[in-house]
Amino acid sequence: MRHGQRKMTLRALAALMLAGACEAAIGAVCATDDRGEQVCLEQPAQRIAALSPGATELVYASGAGDKVVAVVAYSDYPPAAKEVPSVGSHTRLDLERLMTLQPDLVIGWVTGNPPAQLAALEDLGIPVFFIEPRTFDGVSSTIERLAILAGSEDAGFAEAERFRKGIKELAARYEGADPVPVFYQVWDEPLMTVNDNHLIGKVITLCGGRNVFGDLKRLVPRISDEAVLAANPEAILAGGMGEENRQWLDRWAAFPQLAATRHDNLYFVPPSLIQRPTPRLLHGSRLFCEKLDEARAHRANTGPGQP
Amino acid sequence: MSRLLAPSLLVLAGISLLAMALSVSVGSVSVPAGDLLSVLSGGGSKLHQTLIFDLRLPRTLAAFATGGLLAVAGALMQVLLRNPLADPYVLGLSGGAAVGALLAMLAGLGTALISGSAFAGALLATLLVFGLAHGTGSWTPSRLLLTGVVVAAGWGAVITLMLAIAPAQRLPGMLYWLMGDVSYARTPWPGLVLLLVVCLILFPLGRSLNVLARGPMQAAALGVAVRPLEWLIYLVASLLTATAVTTAGSIGFVGLVVPHMLRLVLGNDQRIVLPACALAGGTLLVLADALARVVIAPEQLPVGVITALLGVPIFLYLLYRSQG
Repeated sequence: MRHGQRKMTLRALAALMLAGACEAAIGAVCATDDRGEQVCLEQPAQRIAALSPGATELVYASGAGDKVVAVVAYSDYPPAAKEVPSVGSHTRLDLERLMTLQPDLVIGWVTGNPPAQLAALEDLGIPVFFIEPRTFDGVSSTIERLAILAGSEDAGFAEAERFRKGIKELAARYEGADPVPVFYQVWDEPLMTVNDNHLIGKVITLCGGRNVFGDLKRLVPRISDEAVLAANPEAILAGGMGEENRQWLDRWAAFPQLAATRHDNLYFVPPSLIQRPTPRLLHGSRLFCEKLDEARAHRANTGPGQP
Repeated sequence: MSRLLAPSLLVLAGISLLAMALSVSVGSVSVPAGDLLSVLSGGGSKLHQTLIFDLRLPRTLAAFATGGLLAVAGALMQVLLRNPLADPYVLGLSGGAAVGALLAMLAGLGTALISGSAFAGALLATLLVFGLAHGTGSWTPSRLLLTGVVVAAGWGAVITLMLAIAPAQRLPGMLYWLMGDVSYARTPWPGLVLLLVVCLILFPLGRSLNVLARGPMQAAALGVAVRPLEWLIYLVASLLTATAVTTAGSIGFVGLVVPHMLRLVLGNDQRIVLPACALAGGTLLVLADALARVVIAPEQLPVGVITALLGVPIFLYLLYRSQG
């Protein structure tokens, strides 16, 4: 009898503890970051620090822009982000100023932020959610995960869906399009391009292009002028320094034997639209696809079979 | 002589404490003096406590330890190699550490393993140079210097190769590590303890070091066991440098210039110069780091920029004055 009573008490105690645990868990939010670690907050984040320009864009896209209390240098989009206090550059963080802004969630960049400084933040008890989207799905899932942590699921999931749908539409439209051999120039000196695994490489494939350097092993290979001439791309697309700088394309104008030069297919794509893994990538991809359409139109003008 | 010079050590210690107090009280966020005092006596807001005790104090101590270690290592290398251009990195130790650290970064390992790998690389570089210089012939400082410089060039090539083939997304982290910065220091204690222990060990050897600095023949004639002493200096300097590099990457300039500055001011008595190096090297890096944190806050400068900007004019002034 007494034994049973004790058992009862224990059970009641266990039930109470369980109830307590549940109570603590109510309002808690969890998401898995790009290191594969689960980050849990007792309640949705109210004060978010975004430690890369891309992270800032993604937090705004997830509908939590009004909760951003700290950004880093070059966080220029959306324009509202320029008004948020900066805590240094993504490579050298001013931890003092960051702590003073009292963030309850920090969005770190897996390979871009100094690991020692982010580890110091975690030691101080501030949850750090590491991101590094490398695919179209990565962009939309990052927006969703940030929305969960910030408690802005409605806006965030809608934006993620808009991005996902936009990419799907492009994929459907260009599925059977004539392949265009493309060279994308990431950098000028040294001359650099991307392979098929890079997000920009995926944009090329999405638009029905064929990356002439897609099979190279390195994500961002360094190549020579000769390799470009030998590959003879039909279209060359380049970023550049600044948003309106066609300078990098001038070097190719000197080679009339290049198909791209002959067909006048030297195009500038604003780097901020395509080099950041954020929702603006959809806009950049549309632009990219339009350029390849132009290249296909030029082909029709000069007759087929002459790439 | 040391009775005359002991006060200079006291003065330096005082300056070090002032520098550390300054470094703890300034930052990109200004903490009013009144709040500062209440934080130090255990009160104050939680935020201010975090700023002072979790961010500024460990960083200040790490800067002091790193600067002290580098300056003492530089002074020892200059005695060992009897070459004024010697610094802690001249024998390729920082190159070995960098190769270790970069390999760990290429493999995607965490911060603790990067530090461990850097330390292992530094020790490997030390043993490599030691073994090669030992060789079959005689073990002379010039042979050691030549071996070290060539091995350092080899490390440099390996570093360039690794940077060239590294995936683009790992490149920034690797470059920052090579620049060196106190903000990467996680804990100051290994450096501080080692600095203290080494100063205590070296003090009784000061006289022998003084004799050795004048040349091995004289030292041998005066009864100093030259070979074991040289080995000891080499190993101690390597351990100091390895610890400094592991704490904060390869920060240049401190190890080369601080020992020279002190010799210009205090004379060439190693019993004074070595502990003075620990204090002055630490002070220089503490002040440089404090400036690096605030000059263009919230942006942070690499501390090496400031050590050189502070050190070059001071050193040139002392050199100019000593000739005039």
